[in-house]
Amino acid sequence: MDPANSPLGRMLLDEITPVLMILTTPLVEEICQKNGLTFIEMLSPFCSFNNIDVPVRTASDQPYRLRKFKLRIVYASDVRQPDMEVARKRLKQVITSAGEEEQPDLFSDPPSIESVLNTSKPECMPTWFQYFNKELVRTVSFSDHEAFDHPVACLLVVSSRDEEPLNKFVDMYNTNQLPPMFTDGSMDPKILKHFLLLHDNQDGPSEKATKVLTGMRSTFGLHDCRLLCINSSKDGLVTHQENLWAPYKSDASSSQHLGGFLSIDDLDEVRNAMQDLSSNFIIPQMEQRIRVLNQQVSATRKGFRNQLKNLWWRKGKDDAPDSSSGSMYTFNSIESQIRVLGDFAFMLRDYELALSNYRLLSTDYKLDKAWKQYAGVQEMMGLTYFMLDQSRKDAEYCMENAFHTYLRIGSSGMRNATRCGLWWAEMLKTRDQCKEAATVYFRISGEEPLHSAVMLEQASYCYLLADPPMLRKYGFHLILSGDLYKKCDQIKHAIRTYRGALSVFKGTKWSHIRDHVHFHIGKWYAFLDTFDVAIKNMLEILACGHQSKATQELFLRDFFQTVQKTGKTFEVLKLQLPVIDIPSLNVVFEDRRTYASPAAVSVKESLWQSLEEDMLPSLTGVRSSWLHIQSSLLPAKAKDSNVCVAGEAIAVDIGFRNPLQISLSISSISLVCKHSSNSEEGEMDAKGSTSEIHKDEDHKISVTSEELNSDTTLFTATEVDVSLGGGETIMVQLKVTPKVEGALKIVGVRWKLSGSVVGFHKFQSDMLNKKTAKGRRKIRQSPLDNLSFLVIKSLPKLESFVHHLPKTVSAGDLQRLTLELRNPSEIPVKNMKMKISHPRFLSVGSPEILSMEFPTCLEKKASCAKCDKDVKSKASGKLFRFPENTEIHCENPLLWPLWLWAATPGKFSFHMSIYYEMGDISSIIRYRTLRIQHTLEVLPSLDISFQISPCPSKLQEYLVRMSIVNQTRLESFKLHQLSAVGKEWEISLLQPIDTLFPSEVLTAGQALSCFFKLKNKKSETAENEVSSLTTLKGPTLRLSNGSSEPLFDTCCSPFSEFHHHEKVYQKAYHQEQQTVDFMLISRPQRSNNNPGQPQPNSFDIAAHYACHCRTASASPVCWFMDGPRIIHHNFSSSLCEIKLKITIYNSSDVSVSVRISTFDSVPPGSSSTSSSVLPANEVGWHDISLTNELKVTTSIAGSGSGIHRSTSPECVPPYIWSGASSTCVELEPKSTTEVPLLICVFSPGIHDLSNYALHWNMQSSANYKDAEDGERFFSGTCEGHPYYLTVSQHE
Amino acid sequence: MTSTACFVIVSRNDIPIYEAEVGTAPKKEEAAHEHQFILHAALDIVQDLAWTTSAMFLKSVDRFNDLVVSVYVTAAIHTRLMLLHDSRNDDGIKSFFQEVHELYIKILQNPLYLPGSCIKSPHFDTKVRALARKYL
Repeated sequence: MDPANSPLGRMLLDEITPVLMILTTPLVEEICQKNGLTFIEMLSPFCSFNNIDVPVRTASDQPYRLRKFKLRIVYASDVRQPDMEVARKRLKQVITSAGEEEQPDLFSDPPSIESVLNTSKPECMPTWFQYFNKELVRTVSFSDHEAFDHPVACLLVVSSRDEEPLNKFVDMYNTNQLPPMFTDGSMDPKILKHFLLLHDNQDGPSEKATKVLTGMRSTFGLHDCRLLCINSSKDGLVTHQENLWAPYKSDASSSQHLGGFLSIDDLDEVRNAMQDLSSNFIIPQMEQRIRVLNQQVSATRKGFRNQLKNLWWRKGKDDAPDSSSGSMYTFNSIESQIRVLGDFAFMLRDYELALSNYRLLSTDYKLDKAWKQYAGVQEMMGLTYFMLDQSRKDAEYCMENAFHTYLRIGSSGMRNATRCGLWWAEMLKTRDQCKEAATVYFRISGEEPLHSAVMLEQASYCYLLADPPMLRKYGFHLILSGDLYKKCDQIKHAIRTYRGALSVFKGTKWSHIRDHVHFHIGKWYAFLDTFDVAIKNMLEILACGHQSKATQELFLRDFFQTVQKTGKTFEVLKLQLPVIDIPSLNVVFEDRRTYASPAAVSVKESLWQSLEEDMLPSLTGVRSSWLHIQSSLLPAKAKDSNVCVAGEAIAVDIGFRNPLQISLSISSISLVCKHSSNSEEGEMDAKGSTSEIHKDEDHKISVTSEELNSDTTLFTATEVDVSLGGGETIMVQLKVTPKVEGALKIVGVRWKLSGSVVGFHKFQSDMLNKKTAKGRRKIRQSPLDNLSFLVIKSLPKLESFVHHLPKTVSAGDLQRLTLELRNPSEIPVKNMKMKISHPRFLSVGSPEILSMEFPTCLEKKASCAKCDKDVKSKASGKLFRFPENTEIHCENPLLWPLWLWAATPGKFSFHMSIYYEMGDISSIIRYRTLRIQHTLEVLPSLDISFQISPCPSKLQEYLVRMSIVNQTRLESFKLHQLSAVGKEWEISLLQPIDTLFPSEVLTAGQALSCFFKLKNKKSETAENEVSSLTTLKGPTLRLSNGSSEPLFDTCCSPFSEFHHHEKVYQKAYHQEQQTVDFMLISRPQRSNNNPGQPQPNSFDIAAHYACHCRTASASPVCWFMDGPRIIHHNFSSSLCEIKLKITIYNSSDVSVSVRISTFDSVPPGSSSTSSSVLPANEVGWHDISLTNELKVTTSIAGSGSGIHRSTSPECVPPYIWSGASSTCVELEPKSTTEVPLLICVFSPGIHDLSNYALHWNMQSSANYKDAEDGERFFSGTCEGHPYYLTVSQHE
Repeated sequence: MTSTACFVIVSRNDIPIYEAEVGTAPKKEEAAHEHQFILHAALDIVQDLAWTTSAMFLKSVDRFNDLVVSVYVTAAIHTRLMLLHDSRNDDGIKSFFQEVHELYIKILQNPLYLPGSCIKSPHFDTKVRALARKYL
């Protein structure tokens, strides 16, 4: 690339050109002002010559030709260093006006970064940069250390109207009017003068002027005078096609008509005059000057001798103080002359000559430590290298050197450094070293914030233009620049830079960057009153959870202030605050399933379905017929949607999350719905809504409140206000109630943030818009999929209440509840069924007990025979059918009793489902179910356990030990009655109740155990049964002392039902036939300790069941040993022989062979007889401790004499079994046999005769295969019962 | 003496997956975004520089005023550990980077960690801060 055609080259050819100083008289200006121009402005268009052809011969003998040439014309008053303040104001003006022009696309969306990259280079850069740079360069013109701003000639202009023009010419060039440059010695005041006489043709013909010109020629010389006639046009209406003067007229408005009196001939004359002036006067003059100077320089400085002399001379000056001022080099000094020579050569484009002189000068200045001059020369050297397009490295080195030197000399060099930097950067840009150029621009910045801003912006564009583009740097520098612009109140520029940065940072994951950019640009847009764009940007940063609390507050406050300034409420699609938790979305609606409470809704659908399984009409049949009805009644499109009933609310649960640390107030949360009253309209409406949604997406902000109002007759939506604390998530339930039949679609949710911004969130628009009939079935159902509903006409809906339902009960509490069912509708419902998930806890009572008092209805009545049967029927299934003729209308509630019994401690939730059918058959939905859910907490109360051991002395009689622990902390219980369930059992006290249980009340934490005798009457003779049916000796035993309170009937409802379920629940894994179930009824005395309950509640009843208490041991046989207990014998005379007898009973249905084997030592491995035979399912029998057992044995044994048991085989046993060591007997089913035994006792003492065993073996085990339980034994061994024999020495 | 140090792990597509201010200077609001800007801009330099050398530790790649950006590039180039600091302690920074890189590899080996997602492990955070105290 030709350096002269590069931007820098053109800039240099424009800026470093010969200066023509102009002096005018006021009348000259007056003439020119007729055209609206000053004299200089009039000449300006004709000062650059693009195709002159002037031969130039400078120092060398070879002439060359100049094709282009430009003159700078300046008033003499302007030939001085510009005032700092004025310059600054002027630059600011440039920037501000540039900012004004930016207006149009400032408020549109930032372009995407790709489009920015694709635009060609000049386009993306604002055009005013060039202009600004030029202005910035001009602020350092006419400096004293450079010569290219020195005027090469002076043009004196006098009007022909002036009196005595000749004298005027002389007066004008008076030294005291000349610029300071001429007087302070930095430039030669004796410069070439040229005299111009300006004649206004409107003043008349030019005879007078020609006369004056002749006079001038004779006075000032023939060639130095000239006449210029203008304003030939009389009417002043000449128009010029291209606006010649506009670029030169800084403050003019373009509408002004310029040059009206200047005819084409006038312009030609001006043009010719200027060309003639330059080619015949100025250029030769400069050539002349160069040659003269070159000769001088050669004479004094060139050659070896001169160099040595110079060096020596410079050394001598070493001690001289650093001259910071430039005054040490006057125009006479050789340094200044070399500089002038170099600059002139540069201007006439003899770069070789210029360079050699600059080189020469640079070493001199360096030795002199004249840094400013040195930097100036270095700068020019760099530019010369550039124009020569020779050594790039040298050029850059020189520029860098100059830049640094300028910076080093402090504030005075600052602006020179700026100019140098600008040129340097341009140089780098020309060579495609954009990255380096950017760093140079970055280094230029620093002095004036406004200038820095421009420089940084230019740097950013350099990064953009770099190859490859450095977008992140581009963005960063734009931001830096924007901040500075803002600091200087150039908001429009700030916005422009940030807008450019936005296209880089859009969608960035660097959160702080995103927040900073959006927040500031939003704030600035708001400052310019373009609120919509401002709010759009601010919306981006609302969910700034990562920021500190103070920043969050700042963001929100500014945002709301902006919103307030608009004075409107905005509707914003996808408002980020609060965050809507879509996965938490839950839609609850009631079609045929209705719910009694919100708690019932949250129960899993599968649970309900399994509960209702056998209650609903059979699934497949109903499905087909239901579909059949539906397809005939409904349009096809409605198949996909859900069915809901007019007048019944659809509830939508949505989670709102506050990502910030500050609390938010959210009001008027409501659902946005579309209702269409019939199907055809529905189609249209649906289309309308989707198109409207598209519109929403386009504009993002729209106000749609009036659309909402129109819908209130079709449906009503609830509005909810919440306040979200920092970081909180709140589930909000929103309801919409359709009022008319038709189709309802839930479109989205809207809310108002802090009363000013309306957020709107659409539920999965794409899903809803492009649903295909086929694909939909396959898509897994999510709550978002079924937001469209088919509204059918209103149906009866049952409501239920359960009265007297406590929240917490103690285990065992029995309470009567009342279920109330209401039907607010006129249409009756019928055919009701109910199912309860926990029949163990809840059972349905019979309606007649509603009228009775609570505890008395349970009391024992004479006739209780029939109840056994219907217990079986009722309790078998969980399904309860209400009587056939039950119908529920409005104002006619149905009351039905329920029994609640708290079976085990814990937390339970009961599910009840009530099925009912509609009175009129016309509806789509024929039946509905009401789902009820309640939770109940059961606290532990009494813990009872039973242990039954067979009576060792009697068959079919058992010893029962009941252990009760009161596990509560405060309550006390009064034991009321103990029943053994079943008629064959008879239970009686071993001791009178007073001694056993004196206080009657079991206080908190108390434990009690007592013994009862249990007798199985079945095995006894049948005739006994009648006589034993007395109250005292029945299966029920009164435990309370006062006999006033009646006993409760345990075989009647509800005890029997609960017993049944309990029995099923406590089903033992050893299914034994010989089991007994106990029921303990107690009366809690909790009123004493509960101050909240004023009157004692005497109706409390608690029942405790213990089922499957095993009576028989694992074996089918039971036996007892009979014989003498105390024997007196004289051991000195003989052995003591004692006869014993074992009675064996076979309780099984098959015959059993029993072998009794005796041994003289205890069989190893079975030390504890009592515990090994205990079945494992005796739950709660916790304290099997040896102490108890010992107590029993010692009490039997009486005095402290030891019990002799044959513990070790070494010692001689105190007794031996005599006779055969094993005896076999056969036992028929249910038969008894006796086996005699004999022992010999050797010594006195108490002997435990338990070291025998019974081996039993079932005979016909083959035909007993129907026993499904594999655990049943067919043979086994039983240890002997303890039998204590006291033998004393008979004296 | 207080020092500024801002550590960032940048994953593929220039998404920062871990950020921590590990300097001793009191935290300032304005500094947070400034640091991000500088680090983000330095990615441009890293992009060019990473392919010119086989070393993982790129020393100081960029500077802004008195803040220097040091970068450590993992073998896959995609993940860059960047530290903005004002101290000149190349050896310490290098050790810091190496140890954090090891920690990062451990994070990557976690089967529940999705590569490219934010590192939220508090354990990682404490370890990084401890390393910063040790080396910087």
